[in-house]
Amino acid sequence: MTRVLTMDVLSPTEADAVVARARLGDPVALEALYRTYSTGVYSLARRICRTTEDAEDVLQETFFEVCRSIRTYRGDGSIWGWIRSVASSKALMRLRRNKYRATDELNDELAPARGASTALRMDLEAALDRLSDTARAVVWLHDVEGYTHEEIGTQMGRTASFSKSQLARAHQRLRGWLGDEAVVA
Amino acid sequence: MEQLLAVRDDDRSEPELAGAHSHVASCEACQGELDRLHQRTARLRALPTMAPARNHFPAVRTRWQWERNQRRIRMVSGMFTAAAAALLLSLVGRDLMNPPRLDAEQQLQTAIDASQQLEATLHAWDPAQRVVDGRTARLVVVIEDRIAQVDGRLQDAARLEHAERVQRQVELWRERVGLMNALVDVHVTQVSNVDL
Ligand SMILES: [Zn+2]
Repeated sequence: MTRVLTMDVLSPTEADAVVARARLGDPVALEALYRTYSTGVYSLARRICRTTEDAEDVLQETFFEVCRSIRTYRGDGSIWGWIRSVASSKALMRLRRNKYRATDELNDELAPARGASTALRMDLEAALDRLSDTARAVVWLHDVEGYTHEEIGTQMGRTASFSKSQLARAHQRLRGWLGDEAVVA
Repeated sequence: MEQLLAVRDDDRSEPELAGAHSHVASCEACQGELDRLHQRTARLRALPTMAPARNHFPAVRTRWQWERNQRRIRMVSGMFTAAAAALLLSLVGRDLMNPPRLDAEQQLQTAIDASQQLEATLHAWDPAQRVVDGRTARLVVVIEDRIAQVDGRLQDAARLEHAERVQRQVELWRERVGLMNALVDVHVTQVSNVDL
C-alpha cells in the first residue's frame, strides 16, 4: 500500500550513517536528510494542504521538528516513515489552524468551477482540491500513504470510524465529480 | 460506498464484509463501481510528486540553531543559579550565621571574602550581556545604589578608632554581602521580589 519514493536515494546503510550523524546534531547530515526527503514531505503537504504557502510552511515545520527531535527516533521503522509521520501531523495541524479561516466542509458543496455542463469530466487534481480539507486528508493518508483508519483517527484526534466515513464520503464525491471514468479492463 | 471500500480494503472490522464480498461477486453494477474505485485509487497514487520551489533548509537550520543556543544559555544560567545557591549556602549558612566563634577581624575578613566571591560570581555570569526585563532592571538599579551607599559609609568608617572601626566595618560588609546576594538573585534567577 505504501508508495515507493523515487527520490529516496539513500541506501539503508547510507541512511543509517546519515541518521547516526544527524542524531549528534551534525548540520551536514541534517541537510542530507532534507535533500533526500524534502520532495516527499512537500508533496504530502501539498496534497493535504491546498496552497503552496501552507505546504512550504509544513515543509519547514517538519524539518525543524526533525532537527530538534531526531534523537527521539529509535530506528524502529524507516527514517522516511518517521519523517513522514512528522509531516502528516504538521499538515493536519496546519489544516486545523486554517479551519476558521477557510471554507472547510463547504468546498465540496460549491457549484462546479468549470460550469455545470462540463461537470462530467473533472481533472482528478481539481476534484481532490474541491474536497473538504478533512476528506482530502483522509483520502490521501489512507489510499496513497497507506495509513490505517486507526492511525488517521489518532492523528486527527478522532476515531477510526470517523476516518472511515470521511473516506467513503470523499469517494462518493470524487465518483460524482469525475463521472463515468473510463474503466480500462 | 462503505461496503465497496470494505471489499477493496478487505476490512475485517466490517461486520457485513462477507455479505458485501458475495454481493459484489454477483452484481455487475457493483463490480463496475469497485473497478472504478480501484482505478481512482491507482490514479491518486500515480499523481506526480511535487518539489518545493526553493531550498528551505537554510531557514530551518537558522531557526534550529537559534533555538539550540537559547536552550544552552538557559542551561548555563541554571548551572549558575545552582552554583550561586550553593555558594550562598556555604557563605551565609556556615560563616555568617555562626559569627560568635570568630573574633572581629576574622568576621571582617569573612564578610569581605563573601562579598568578593559574590562579585566574582556575578562577573562570571556577565549580566551586561543579558537581556533583562524592565522590572529586573529597576531592581538592579536600586540594589546597586544601596551598595554604593554602603561603600560610601565604609570609607567613612575607615576614619574611626580601631575597635569601633572593625565593628562598624563588619556590619557594613555584612550588609554589602546581603545586597550582593540580592543582586545575584535578581540577575541569575530573575526573582522579582527582593527583601531589602
Ligand atoms: Zn450491487
